[in-house]
Amino acid sequence: MKYVDEYRSAEDAERLAERIAGLVEPGRHYKLMEVCGGHTHTIYKHGIEDLLPPEVELVHGPGCPVCVIPMGRQDDAIAIAERPDVIFTTFGDMMRVPATHGSLLDAKALGADVRMVYSPLDALRIARENPDRQVVFFAIGFETTTPSTAITLLRARAAGIINFSVFANHVTIVPAIKAILDSPDLRLDGFIGPGHVSTVIGVRPYRWIAQDHGKPVVVSGFEPLDILQGVYMILRQLREGRSEVENQYTRVVREEGNLAALKAIGETMQLRSTFEWRGLGFISQSALKLRPEFAEWDAEVRYEVPGVRVADPKACQCGEVLKGVIKPWQCKVFGTACTPDRPIGTCMVSSEGACAAYYNFGRLTRRRGREPAPA
Amino acid sequence: MSEDHCITCGDVAVEAEVVTVSGATATATVRHGDTHEEIAVDLVAGVRAGDRLLCHAGVALEKLEPR
Repeated sequence: MKYVDEYRSAEDAERLAERIAGLVEPGRHYKLMEVCGGHTHTIYKHGIEDLLPPEVELVHGPGCPVCVIPMGRQDDAIAIAERPDVIFTTFGDMMRVPATHGSLLDAKALGADVRMVYSPLDALRIARENPDRQVVFFAIGFETTTPSTAITLLRARAAGIINFSVFANHVTIVPAIKAILDSPDLRLDGFIGPGHVSTVIGVRPYRWIAQDHGKPVVVSGFEPLDILQGVYMILRQLREGRSEVENQYTRVVREEGNLAALKAIGETMQLRSTFEWRGLGFISQSALKLRPEFAEWDAEVRYEVPGVRVADPKACQCGEVLKGVIKPWQCKVFGTACTPDRPIGTCMVSSEGACAAYYNFGRLTRRRGREPAPA
Repeated sequence: MSEDHCITCGDVAVEAEVVTVSGATATATVRHGDTHEEIAVDLVAGVRAGDRLLCHAGVALEKLEPR
């Protein structure tokens, strides 16, 4: 595959793995968190953990937006979708997330007009084509996805399309990292920083992690060699006694991020005082809502939603998986009651969820002999 | 344009090559493998045919360095 093979060379990967092994200090165990679900996906798909020395453990973070949406918000989405005047549009994975009484897919089967889209701009087009219906977009995602919602809102306002609204659930990654660092459950040595979130926000927002907590952060790309090089750069910092923010993904990520994208987000959205994350609980200033100037396009203003906090199913341990406290296969229902076809928790729904990644790429049996005990 | 990744993803975008640009609508048609898609280019300045863009959820997020 053009432009991809160069980042998937097995020989280069082995060479990098040798260099990583050369940085390991005797008797030391390294726990590195890959914050982003995209990294988790690559790690399992390409067997990256098998290349790493046993002293280097990768811990999977909360960076899968499908996984962190709490069940109450999914209930709210379904309540909007079930309105007879509404065409409810959503990214595909959110259709399968179980809520209290079934998923959006179940609601669709019962007659709700739920449609999958690849972009909020597709939802806006549906609104333009259906002026007699109300079209709602279920906006989820980290800073990579937020710009597309922002652009769509700006275009809706410019075109005067008022039968379109957004149910905003955009989250921000930095407060989640802070919550993890503040958690007593886990001791981490460094972070593989999210590549495409950083395309939007730049690398500066991570500096406090290095400066205040003494943890290296290396913003990394998504190909196997990117991740291995990210691990190498973290271990090199640790070996040299440094804790800095470094950018491995310089071919894409700029120091300052995308200022136009940040401006579009700032023009349309503002921070919520608090927001519930699955597994992590309420985190202050960790999510976005529409600005009052965009109230006309705000589904939470337009519709009454239940807004009830709903506890996760007791059997589900997504929360501990999202915090990196347990590995997916250590969950009691992993691969038995909870599978990608019949998920109980969100981590088994999205292909970026750690559980689905483990399940889909056959790590179930291969990892059992090698995993250290949970923290 | 997302055979390798979750399309809902918070953090994975894909690289695609610009085929045509429409300045009037701030859109571009991009190619990723055999797939063509129209994307918004509001957030990236000076997009031209042949450029490689990082795209996510119908929007270009960054212009990549020439190879």
